[in-house]
Amino acid sequence: MIMTFIYRGIVLFVLAFVVRCMFREKDFWKQVTAALVILPLILRVLLIK
Amino acid sequence: MAWKPGGNVQTALFLIAAVAIVAFGAARSFVSMWEMDTIVPAPGFEKHMLSEWFEGIKDTPADTPVYIQEGSEPGGTVFVMGGTHPNEPASSLTAVLFLERAKVHKGRLIIVPFANIMAFTHNSPQEAHPQRISFTLPDGSLRSFRYGSRATNPIYQWPDPDVYIHPQSGQELAGSERSNLNRAHPGTPDGALTQRLAYALRQLVMAEKVDLAFDLHEASPEYPVVNAIVAHEKSMELAAMVAMELEISDIPIRLEPSPKNLRGLTHREWGDYTDTMPILMETGNPSQGRLRGRTDEDLVLTGADKYYAWAADLGLLFIPYETDQPIGLRIARHTSALMSFFDSLAFLDPSKEVVVSGIPAFGELAENGLGPYLSPLD
Repeated sequence: MIMTFIYRGIVLFVLAFVVRCMFREKDFWKQVTAALVILPLILRVLLIK
Repeated sequence: MAWKPGGNVQTALFLIAAVAIVAFGAARSFVSMWEMDTIVPAPGFEKHMLSEWFEGIKDTPADTPVYIQEGSEPGGTVFVMGGTHPNEPASSLTAVLFLERAKVHKGRLIIVPFANIMAFTHNSPQEAHPQRISFTLPDGSLRSFRYGSRATNPIYQWPDPDVYIHPQSGQELAGSERSNLNRAHPGTPDGALTQRLAYALRQLVMAEKVDLAFDLHEASPEYPVVNAIVAHEKSMELAAMVAMELEISDIPIRLEPSPKNLRGLTHREWGDYTDTMPILMETGNPSQGRLRGRTDEDLVLTGADKYYAWAADLGLLFIPYETDQPIGLRIARHTSALMSFFDSLAFLDPSKEVVVSGIPAFGELAENGLGPYLSPLD
């Protein structure tokens, strides 16, 4: 259970940074790349997949 | 020269919205597998939960339904377990068939159709397996069942260690095997969920004084132990009788002794740790195999695959395979073997006789498939 909380915390931390990078990015295709990274992170932080 | 559109806050917001839509759709699809398959038990079955035999899995995702039907005359107790590996659908569907059709006249029948219920809630990654398979009933309605994974869903049990050490024997296996119910037996009361589930199943077998216990499986057609009965030393005499009976009925089947040094499997651990006679049975499922081509619901239901036909021509398979291996045939193999075991049990000990009716014959199932023998939903 503790491991799961730590795991979700790490995923949330990474997710927040990827979103932050996405908003600061000036290249659209790099923003798309960030979007592709965000997708599984959302499913993981919600413990859906 | 590559087109390089600029990125800004507006494009980021657009992409966030797109991600939200895709994530919502994907989440709905994944979460749909968390819903239990509907089954219609035949009259006479009482529903229990496995946690009644071991409190340690109560209110956990490992707790799974147990159905018991007692005949009007005393006799033996038989336990049929399907769904150890939910990517082997003839296993759980044979248990479902017995659950929906069986009438017990003598003795007691215990059925667990979804043994590792935690593995029914997801697919194995990168296998392209369907989430569900469906059967058409005579009234035109559809019954669908989940096609899960071999392993417990990691949302319930993680992380896997680098090496899984089987607690009772010290046997070392790949870490992912900690999530495999059929490497967890006889289980531990305080281990990971899969190990506790195995422990609960052992408690059921012991508390209910099960005389004969079945663990139903499927395997790849290129795997040597397929269309086979695997028997512990205690069960070998009975299994030999059944194998001969099936051969006489033109249902070829292998008889394999349970290896003493392969630990964690039902056919070994239930035999060593309980008084029951354990039997594991395998049929050939091309949708699990490594040689398969296009993987979809049709492959699961028909087993028709041109690469398996080619492999059969080259003599590489361990099942008779011409063009297909329908699920009705695979369920018929399990069903006929089970009925033959029930009959043979009385030869070993007449007081342990178990008489069950209502189960379709081999030819009927092989010819008509499973659909006509399932009950319609209300």
